Amino acid sequence: MSRAAAIRTLVLCAQAEMALVRRDPVAGPLLAQAARAAAGTGAAPLVSAAADLVRRPPGTPGAPAAARRKVTQALVRAARIRAEAVLSEPPGGS
Amino acid sequence: MRVLGEDARLLEAAGCDVEALAALEAAVAADGPDPGGATWRDAHVHLGRDRDGHVLDADGLVADLDANGIADAVCFPPNDPGPDGQFAAANAAVLAAARRRPGRIVPFCRVDPSRPGAGVAMDRAQAGGAAGLKLHPVAQGFRPESPECVAVVRDAAARGWPVLLHAGFGARALAGPMAALADAAPDARLILAHGGRGDAAALEQAVRGRDGVVFDTSLATLPDLVAIGPERLVFGSDRPYGEHATARQLVGLAARAGGWDADALAAVMGANLTRLLGR
Repeated sequence: MSRAAAIRTLVLCAQAEMALVRRDPVAGPLLAQAARAAAGTGAAPLVSAAADLVRRPPGTPGAPAAARRKVTQALVRAARIRAEAVLSEPPGGS
Repeated sequence: MRVLGEDARLLEAAGCDVEALAALEAAVAADGPDPGGATWRDAHVHLGRDRDGHVLDADGLVADLDANGIADAVCFPPNDPGPDGQFAAANAAVLAAARRRPGRIVPFCRVDPSRPGAGVAMDRAQAGGAAGLKLHPVAQGFRPESPECVAVVRDAAARGWPVLLHAGFGARALAGPMAALADAAPDARLILAHGGRGDAAALEQAVRGRDGVVFDTSLATLPDLVAIGPERLVFGSDRPYGEHATARQLVGLAARAGGWDADALAAVMGANLTRLLGR
């Protein structure tokens, strides 16, 4: 992942994480944007999966919806951590 | 089956592809450290139901621990203070869970230093087998450096208990207050949660060199863990707010960024907590 892609992914995933916690519908557009920013990187499968989960119809309310929201948060968190790892490498790293 | 800390049946009911999620979870966990025979311990788990709806029971926790190769977890109540404000029922529930699951749950109690009855609550918890104390200055609205909090932390130290304090999300700067607390209770063993991310750089500097102060890794940021270093970290998940795959991932990638060796990783993943707890 390039440093530029890592910055974009990190920023958008951090915004999306908070949006998911607050159940803000802006999470969907943020994750769609993050998926584009992360395309071709190690974070891409995670962000794409999270964006897909948010896009799906709500499904059964209550505990199932809460579980889905939590795994979406986990996927976004994992993508953010991978971006943080790239940015923690010395400049000039891969 | 559980995936990313959630019951797979619930995820299926929510229309999720559980197999695909499990594969992603495995990929995330692969970023994490190799067990290499070390004993892994989780320093930060909420057991019970929070006012905000988050819930984790002992069966779910033990399933998560087993799936992630973790021996045991420090557990304390979520934000469920009850009518007395001193977590009476929630503390009793954690202690009961620890008795039902011997060797898997290290019970900490939780109190509110700003309300009457903290000492009595700690007495009751100690009689029930509590091994430490959790304090949450933001949720309970008290200042770590306040005389009431200092008194409770000194009391905990006198009981031989470490104290885990929330040091993440919150509006106030933490470095000065936590340093003041550590100064006022020099015998205390403090675990500052979340890598101190609420005031990370200043907090790390303020408590550097204090042997009795460590940070847990739960929901921390990677560069903060690298800056703190493996000698002063204990692995934590913040279940049910966090989950174990990304908690392991965070430590594994921090270790690579920080150049930690296998012994340093083993220390973070369990040996540091064992030394702190004395068990």
